[in-house]
Amino acid sequence: MGYINEVISSRELLVNLTMREVKGKYKRTVFGQLWSLANPLAAMLIYTFVFAFIFKAHPDRGNPSGLDVFALWLLCGLLPWTFLATTINAGLGSLIANAGLVQKVYFSRIVLPLSNVAASGYNWLFEMGVLVVALSIAGAFVLPWLPLVVVLMVLLALFAAGIALMLAVANVYFRDTQNFVGILLQIWMYLTPIIYPLNLVQDQSDRIGGLFGTSITLVDVFRLNPMENFVDVFRQLLYDNRWPNASTFLVCTLWAFGSFIVGVWVFRRNEKNLAEAL
Amino acid sequence: MTLKAAIMRGKRSVYEDFWALDEVSFEVPVGSTFGLIGSNGSGKSTLLKCLSKIYYPESGSISAYGKLAALLEVGSGFHHELSGRENIFLNGSILGMSKKEVTQKFDEIVDFSGVEHFIDQPVKNYSSGMYVRLGFSVAISVAPDILVVDEVLAVGDAEFQEKCRQKFIEFKNAGKTVILVSHSMDTVQQMCDKAAWLKNGRLVQVGEAAPTIQAYLGSLTTGSV
Repeated sequence: MGYINEVISSRELLVNLTMREVKGKYKRTVFGQLWSLANPLAAMLIYTFVFAFIFKAHPDRGNPSGLDVFALWLLCGLLPWTFLATTINAGLGSLIANAGLVQKVYFSRIVLPLSNVAASGYNWLFEMGVLVVALSIAGAFVLPWLPLVVVLMVLLALFAAGIALMLAVANVYFRDTQNFVGILLQIWMYLTPIIYPLNLVQDQSDRIGGLFGTSITLVDVFRLNPMENFVDVFRQLLYDNRWPNASTFLVCTLWAFGSFIVGVWVFRRNEKNLAEAL
Repeated sequence: MTLKAAIMRGKRSVYEDFWALDEVSFEVPVGSTFGLIGSNGSGKSTLLKCLSKIYYPESGSISAYGKLAALLEVGSGFHHELSGRENIFLNGSILGMSKKEVTQKFDEIVDFSGVEHFIDQPVKNYSSGMYVRLGFSVAISVAPDILVVDEVLAVGDAEFQEKCRQKFIEFKNAGKTVILVSHSMDTVQQMCDKAAWLKNGRLVQVGEAAPTIQAYLGSLTTGSV
């Protein structure tokens, strides 16, 4: 409990460090905060061209929203993914980037990775806002689902924060971590049905049948991926506009709290050695 | 440490423990100004970092009675693109002050630093002197019961140094405790009541400032402990 109090008492520092990240990031650029939209937009154009136009990937029509726009369908999964990826990358490097601070001032170190989570969360909120407007223009009725979307965003942020906390500590001891993670994130992204619909995996899975003589199919393995569950629920809420599958939502919740609790635990255990190890 | 080193450690490589500090015990009376002296590498800064909870001693303990603030570096966490004003708030909260406290002391901080005209300029445009002065002004406004200072008195021009000296005297008159590291024996002589002399991580002598400094200086000229 003492630890929680300590973290709560440094919330002002958390806010200030977050604002430092947010304000510092696009300082002296002409387009400012608009730049945070540039990356997802570019990715959207590229993936839409390659996967929808050339490879002819065709996700199911939004049910009951009736939407049939690949770009929007893509963004419903891509924006949460980019948030996760940027959070992990930024959080992972946060201790090393602030090594000078860690070695010279005493404060609750956990605010460093957490401020990075909050800063990418701020950008993500901005992107999701734009997406909601775009979805509404395209004819989806998103508004009633927004509270649940926000809850899910918080869950994903907890999930991302947990991973970032663990990796931030690992990266202090083994700088190799950041290089590994760059590759792993790429693999992870392509193993998550973000730019292609899960029904393509389903087709392959049905063709192959049970793996290694068991009744476990390829799709079952795919669904073990926590991000598959998150992306699925985001699409049900934003693209389909329906109640998410309760069990999938529960899986997301468990992953979120599991990751966050383990992350905080790992961080706390190693916090005191950080200044020496850096 | 690389992955290879970590794996090798269990097998063939031999390493020797190095104790940066060992058998160092002393008390600092409340309200005194306490100097730590010794040659380079004697463990003074490590000791300060232990005092300020940046390092944690593997054995032994440190007890502080009252709020402790450390001034090991000035301008920690300044963001170059942000203005002096924004950095005061940022730095203040890093040093553990609430927004309310900083707002209250804002004028005092700016006044002490002497950078009024440039307070809304990004700090990257500051001269190095202005930069450290602003950092120092924020740090000194934390108002702790115990202040731990590492060789930062040597910032700014003569005028600013005089201001700092005044601030420390004020601090002392208010009954606060100061622990400082300095290589300038004049500073230690002038400011400290008591001093501790460290050599190779061990405490050689602790007591009244003047005899300790004498002993330390004496060892330098004769070359013996």
